[in-house]
Amino acid sequence: MEAGKRKTEEEQQTLVDRKRKAEISEPPTTTTTVTMNAVETLVTQIQGLSGSPNDVVALHAHLNKVDEALRGESARLLPFLDQIDPSIHSLGYLYLLDACTSGPVSKELAANLVLITSRFITSCSTEQIRLAPEKFTGMCKRFKDQVLLIEAPMRGVAPLLVAVRKVQPSSEHLTSLHPDFLQLCLLAKCYKTGLSLLEDDIFEVTQPRDLFLYCYYGGMICIGQKHFQKALELLHNVVTAPMTSINAIAVEAYKKYALVSLIDNGQFSPGLPKYASSSAQRNLKNFCQQPYIELANTYSTGKIAELETFVQKHREKFESDNNLGLVKQVVSSMYKRNIQRLTQTYLTLSLQDIANTVQLNSAKEAEMHVLQMIQDGEIFATINQKDGMVRFLEDPEQYKSSGVIERIDSSIQRLMTLSKKLTNMDEQMSCDSLYLAKAGRERQRFDFDDFDSVPQKFNM
Amino acid sequence: MASSSSSGLTFKLHPLVMVNISDHYTRVKSQMNPPVTSTSCSNTNGNGNGAPAPPPRVYGCVIGVQRGRTVEIFNSFELLYDSATDSLDRAFLLKKQELYKKVFPNFYVLGWYSTGSDAEESDMHIHKALMDINESPVYVLLNPAINHAQKDLPVTIYESEMHVIDGIPQLIFVNSSYTIETVEAERISVDHVAHLKPSDGGSAATQLAAHLTSIHSAIKMLNSRIRVLHHYLVAMQKGEIPYENSLLRQVSSLLRRLPAIESEKFQDDFLMEYSDTLLITYLAMFTNCSSTMNELVEKFNTAYDRHSRRGGRTAFI
Repeated sequence: MEAGKRKTEEEQQTLVDRKRKAEISEPPTTTTTVTMNAVETLVTQIQGLSGSPNDVVALHAHLNKVDEALRGESARLLPFLDQIDPSIHSLGYLYLLDACTSGPVSKELAANLVLITSRFITSCSTEQIRLAPEKFTGMCKRFKDQVLLIEAPMRGVAPLLVAVRKVQPSSEHLTSLHPDFLQLCLLAKCYKTGLSLLEDDIFEVTQPRDLFLYCYYGGMICIGQKHFQKALELLHNVVTAPMTSINAIAVEAYKKYALVSLIDNGQFSPGLPKYASSSAQRNLKNFCQQPYIELANTYSTGKIAELETFVQKHREKFESDNNLGLVKQVVSSMYKRNIQRLTQTYLTLSLQDIANTVQLNSAKEAEMHVLQMIQDGEIFATINQKDGMVRFLEDPEQYKSSGVIERIDSSIQRLMTLSKKLTNMDEQMSCDSLYLAKAGRERQRFDFDDFDSVPQKFNM
Repeated sequence: MASSSSSGLTFKLHPLVMVNISDHYTRVKSQMNPPVTSTSCSNTNGNGNGAPAPPPRVYGCVIGVQRGRTVEIFNSFELLYDSATDSLDRAFLLKKQELYKKVFPNFYVLGWYSTGSDAEESDMHIHKALMDINESPVYVLLNPAINHAQKDLPVTIYESEMHVIDGIPQLIFVNSSYTIETVEAERISVDHVAHLKPSDGGSAATQLAAHLTSIHSAIKMLNSRIRVLHHYLVAMQKGEIPYENSLLRQVSSLLRRLPAIESEKFQDDFLMEYSDTLLITYLAMFTNCSSTMNELVEKFNTAYDRHSRRGGRTAFI
């Protein structure tokens, strides 16, 4: 009701202002400051021109012109935001909000702005936003800073998730908002929301820094949720991504990569695959030699006491890298690794013997460990509590159910689409001028006779 | 022109004749300049745009053996049609006849062939001209228009008979039935030709793919027929079609013959084998993908890595 009444007032205002606009010349450009009148005319213009897509494009062009002038007036623009509706006049709202936040922001103002921005993000219209994606992204980044300023990262998580989905051209694109969102998830400790974003496969990246940060934060979220397999994948991506010179994100990721690899696989080889960039291959090891690679060496000996003394020695280093929690998990995974090794040698074993072999303190502790591992599905065993014997069993999975078949079938489908994408990329790469220049230079050393006629790849 | 023949002759046609005629037609059509579009296209457009010419008619002679009431057509050869005299090239025909006589002494000129959709009046001239070689020649007509819906061969055999029409005795063409007679050599070659280009499209480059394609088309046909039956039964259930008990009895006997084994063990074994096959396909796809990926990475490294190793290109396998 009130909104309706306000609208008719605004309509009258529009008529009056349109008449007045005919008398006033074009809104002043960059250098002069903007008077309140001009801001009002701008507001009415926004209201008038947000109807059809053509109007919106014209409005966009106009808004670009007055953008600089608006930023100068950032402090006084806040009340005008109430006059326009974020879902219909999204583009105008965006520009005004952007101008409001461009100046320095105090804590009280930040709290207010956070509320306004989250409402805006949830209700804005996607088509209008996509006309000015950089502005939207910049504003969201400032929103994240404000949320951190008022120390309530949880409040930024949901709006940023919505913002990411609205700005993305498709689910395969990586935007600059992805790492910001993941960072907020990490700070707010809501890992599950972060995981939902990590489900998408990324194929298009515009800024390499976005990719590094995205994979790094994503890896950390997966570690938080104990999905070590996926964390390993993401951290591996950071470490092997093409880079002309080493960067700090890759170094940190490499350290975590080493630790997660120890937890998940029980081993870590410092070598990098051949598709890693040569600068990474040469330099990463040097940065992480002390103490991470030595930790891996100590781990491979299998002696827990040595491992623990080593961890104690380098405790400050681990702490300064914020990796101490992960290192503690590495130590506890050593016990698991040793128990698993026992399953390969013995069919039954008493709890006391397990405790002795694995260097645990008592049979009770051994029982706790074994029980935990059975629950996690890491070993298959039954504990006979009467005589304290553990009987190790085979994996009961027969892979005969239709669920398994469905999984394989869907994997095959995914692999087929991936294969098509890879073939396309391969063809594009073959036409790349840089590649042709270098390949052409190398080829002259070979005769025609050196090429045999067998095809190098079988097309399915 | 159509009614069935009353002469009581049985015709046996060899596949070689049909392959010859279609080969002749295809050759002439592809050598025409400008190239002729398919006959179905020219039928729908009429002669409106003028560019596609009507498909050419080819002519030739058929030879074979007549034993009593059985006429067996073994072979054929091509003849030129002289539109000036409106007859076939007689000199060439005689020469060819002589040559064939040396190799196959039993064969006689039994008639002639042509392509087209239906027999025409002008054909009667040619037919009559041949009557001095053979008193009652046969006319084999091949319809080159490809009709996917048609299940039987587009070949018709006509005989000539004297009928009284409007008081005037006239020779007209009458349709005759025929059977296909195959010699072992012909069966092999027809099989070979049939598998050169599978009707479903896609290249069956390897034997395995050809085998799987044939299984796939068989299953597809089975599926479509079951779907028809199902649709019919549903309609019967709804009451749109009156009940037909004999059909229902057949369907129920068919259903009772289904699955012979429905036990736990069968299910297990079947699923295990199914998942094994799927895993092998998965592995094959993986290998293919890895090989593509490997090539891509090599190219990327050559192009963009500043200090890449200068290795030569080696074969993947």
